[in-house]
Amino acid sequence: MSSFWLHPALVMLAGAALLPLVPERARRGWLLLVPALAFARTLGLEPGTWGEVRFLDWTLVFGRVDRLSLVFGYILALMAVLATLYGLHVRRVGEHVAAWVYAGGSLGVIYAGDLVTLFVFWELMALASVFLIWYRGRPESLGAGYRYLLVHLAGGVALLAGIVLHYQATRSLAFEALAVDRPTLATYLVMTGFILNAAVPPLHAWLPDAYGEATFNGSVFLCAFTTKTAVYALARGLPGLDLLVPLGVIMAVYGVVYAVLENDSRRLLAYHIISQVGYMVAGVGLADLDTPVGQLALNGACAHAFAHILYKGLLFMGTGAVLHMTGESRFTRLGGLYPKMPWTFLFTLIGGLSISAFPLFSGFISKSMIVTASFEDHRLWAGFGLMLASAGTFLHTGLKVPYFIWFGENRCSRETWERAADPGWNMTLAMLLTAALCVFIGCYTPYLYGMLPFQPVTYQPYTSYHVAETLQVLLFTALGFFLFLKKLTPEPTISLDTDWFYRRGGRAFLRLAEGPVRALDAWWGELYRRAGLAGLVRAAREARWFDQSLIDGAVDGLAAAVRAGGERLRSLQRAHVQESLWVALAVTALGLVGLLLYRAW
Amino acid sequence: MNLPEPLAQISWLSVLVFSPLAAAAVAAVLRSERAVRWWTLAATLAVAAASVPVALGFDPTTPAFQFVEDRPWIPFLGARYTLGVDGLSLVLVLLTTGILPLCVLASWRYITTRVREFMLGLLVMETAMVGVFCALDFVLFFLFWEAMLVPMALLIGVWGGPRRVYAALKFFIYTMAGSVFLLVAIVALYLMTGTFDLRALMGRGYPLAVQVWVFLAFFVSFAIKVPMVPFHTWLPAAHVEAPTAGSVILASVLLKMGTYGFLRLSLPITPDATRLLAPYLTWLSVAALVYGGLTALAQSDLKKLVAYSSVGHMGFATLGIFTLTRAGLEGAVLQMINHGITTGALFICVGLLYERLHTRELGAAAGVGKHVPVFAGFFGVFVLSSMAFPGTNSFIGEFLALAGAFEASRPVALAAVPGVVLAAAYLLRMLQKVAYGSPHNPDHAGVTDLTLREGLTLAPLLGLVFWIGLHPAPLVRLFAASVQHLLEQTLGPAAVPPAAGP
Repeated sequence: MSSFWLHPALVMLAGAALLPLVPERARRGWLLLVPALAFARTLGLEPGTWGEVRFLDWTLVFGRVDRLSLVFGYILALMAVLATLYGLHVRRVGEHVAAWVYAGGSLGVIYAGDLVTLFVFWELMALASVFLIWYRGRPESLGAGYRYLLVHLAGGVALLAGIVLHYQATRSLAFEALAVDRPTLATYLVMTGFILNAAVPPLHAWLPDAYGEATFNGSVFLCAFTTKTAVYALARGLPGLDLLVPLGVIMAVYGVVYAVLENDSRRLLAYHIISQVGYMVAGVGLADLDTPVGQLALNGACAHAFAHILYKGLLFMGTGAVLHMTGESRFTRLGGLYPKMPWTFLFTLIGGLSISAFPLFSGFISKSMIVTASFEDHRLWAGFGLMLASAGTFLHTGLKVPYFIWFGENRCSRETWERAADPGWNMTLAMLLTAALCVFIGCYTPYLYGMLPFQPVTYQPYTSYHVAETLQVLLFTALGFFLFLKKLTPEPTISLDTDWFYRRGGRAFLRLAEGPVRALDAWWGELYRRAGLAGLVRAAREARWFDQSLIDGAVDGLAAAVRAGGERLRSLQRAHVQESLWVALAVTALGLVGLLLYRAW
Repeated sequence: MNLPEPLAQISWLSVLVFSPLAAAAVAAVLRSERAVRWWTLAATLAVAAASVPVALGFDPTTPAFQFVEDRPWIPFLGARYTLGVDGLSLVLVLLTTGILPLCVLASWRYITTRVREFMLGLLVMETAMVGVFCALDFVLFFLFWEAMLVPMALLIGVWGGPRRVYAALKFFIYTMAGSVFLLVAIVALYLMTGTFDLRALMGRGYPLAVQVWVFLAFFVSFAIKVPMVPFHTWLPAAHVEAPTAGSVILASVLLKMGTYGFLRLSLPITPDATRLLAPYLTWLSVAALVYGGLTALAQSDLKKLVAYSSVGHMGFATLGIFTLTRAGLEGAVLQMINHGITTGALFICVGLLYERLHTRELGAAAGVGKHVPVFAGFFGVFVLSSMAFPGTNSFIGEFLALAGAFEASRPVALAAVPGVVLAAAYLLRMLQKVAYGSPHNPDHAGVTDLTLREGLTLAPLLGLVFWIGLHPAPLVRLFAASVQHLLEQTLGPAAVPPAAGP
């Protein structure tokens, strides 16, 4: 066992454990300090294998540090800092604890070198993050949280089954790339576990369900960690798995389609996560690591994850600010907020431009790597599909979200309008920092490209062809938006998604349980009570009777008989001592005589 | 024996056996009740502390007797003063010295009259009990065996409940009747071999008929002590009427003397008879298990319920012994220790409840748990332990005993399973009633929760429940070699498979 190596997750988990003990006055300082320390720790990590612990027959590796885990660890720890800053004014300690345990679990997965550690932290993430949904406290939040938890635990079971089968086949628990050219059942089960967390359709319906329902700052945490950790897991474990490419492209388009239909701004963003993660999943699918194209694809997936964490976080921060200040998140109840919340608008706009891959913003330099990789790999349908999703992205996130919240027809209620204002200093600062990073990454490419796994990165996003092509797509989309503005006006709708199956199925299952199964159980219970329990109680009573009356009766009876005999004999005695002595001597003498006679015989 | 000089020079066992007696002599002249209580507590704690070097200096790798002291005593009889411990006696001595301070603590407020005499009785009992476990000479053994009868009878008869005289007499006469047979067996063995030394009497290869008679004589005496069905009826009476400390000593230590007698005397001295009769005795043990469970289920008096549960638990111990397998024997010894801890704790809990409610009826105690949550917590853990819940100490013992039974005879093991279920039934019923009751509970408004002293009394037992339950290996290692040796003596060396790794 190696000497103690400070895991960044340990900093977050210890910070979470101690947070309830920190006095109220020092709490803000603690909230700022712990993620900053964790981030500083990730900066100071040396590549190598650390934190090996012997457990039963295995060696668990807690600290596998290489370029891939470093880039993910960096951005996730940074996001933890920004998201905690964003939620600094939340008073309920439990929310911070849940968020930090969640972030710690995610960091644990990133640096896990073996499948057991991966699984433990994987489950820890699910169990901690559900509280971020439950803390919202609405009547719907309870159901949403339970669905989230059940879906994630089911995914965890699939992952565990895959791990077990993999171990049986290879007798190795190392978290390395599984053989993707000959995928086995184990490969598919592990993939199922990973893609469920990555919200790949049809296993995606939990994401909009949960993320739209979480607390305003909980969503900022949620959007960053679960899906990107799953992307990391895919990148580490299944690079080049061909199935991921069509899945990723379908994801990208699917997310965009549903996002267009959404009325709730945060659910829209949640569907949009699915779309963006589709890029990353497709990138991982293209990542046949022996070829330069594959390396470009994996670089692109990592870069896109990095950028996405930042701009998605920024978007959720913006819409979360609207929700927190006004209490509303649906387009049909908002609009025209610009005069009241200009800064929030600016930051959300920056997020929207980043996500749309506008030149000079972060999405531009990352998304294009994946698209280029798919074209270089001669998968034209993948490349065009991803570009189509791009257009849709700009349509709703870059245009619809800012327009229908801050401009357009003012459908706010009086109360909403009264409450609207730019949020507090911590939220504004968090958004400012994140927005600044989005712009910085977009403008100064070596910052992000220098962190990517496969160096040197020769890809150059700012070519005149590429800028022109991108601007074409985006500006024509904008034109289309304004031309069709009336058609795009939000309406209060609920989109049916694949969760319809398990929500309906759940209700049917409950009817089965309450009906036939309960009747059977009641019948069995009655039988058990009549035949079993009553018989047992009767046997117990009879045993007690046997004990008290029979055995004790015999014993006590014997004692009573002896005493009665003694009473009788006592009546032979009279008060005179001499008489008793004579009798005793006479009996003894007779006894001795008898004995002598017997011996002499 | 691995003790550093000068500690190795001390006759530790004599110290352990006679220092309570010396402390009793001092307590006899103390003036105030307060001084007597504190002095007794200090003395019992000191004896417990004195048993620590013995435990540390004990060498668990050898089954030979250690800390042996051998001095001439009654030359014309041939009786010598021989003390010694092996793994088996050591754990029982530790149990005894450990439980006595807790008995003193439990009697702190319970005993209000004649406190000095009560504490004297406790101390004299401690001498007798430790003496029984350490004695290696039959006369000495019998002396200590009988010596514990009188203080116990007094403890029950003077400070007990309404029917205390009846219970005390019943206990005394019952046990003495059994001891008569023990005496006959001792004399018979002496006449055959000319020695009273236990070590010399073992493995002599007596003719089978002799062995059977001696075994039967031993059996009556020990079966009454254990108690095995149908010689058990003194137990409910004695337990119910005894004061808390008396019940604890009775359950924790005195019952173990019966099984100790089987292990120390019946198995090594009369091995062929043991092998011959063991199958019948396993069935008798199973009967005790099931019968104890049934009768406990029918009880509404808390103390009687726990008393009958003792019958059931000791059924497991004897079952383990008479399977004559390693798992069974280890399980039996573990069960002895665990039963001492758990049932002692349960009796303390019931005593605490009685001090508050002045009744032992289950119905009257219904729902009291809500007012005394700390007590309910302790009580719940001990009930779970009594039920052999995994993670608690009794689970290991019962599991091993059942494993041994399964090895020896599958029908016996299967027949024992209902006993386990019954245990769960009556214990959970008791716990449910005490902790929650029903919507119509009696009014428990003024009932106070555990004081610090009472918590301190129960805390070590709680710790032991979990420590032995989760990490039994150090304890088992103490007596594993002795059990192995005992098996070899009973079955013959060739029949015993060598011990598995640590």
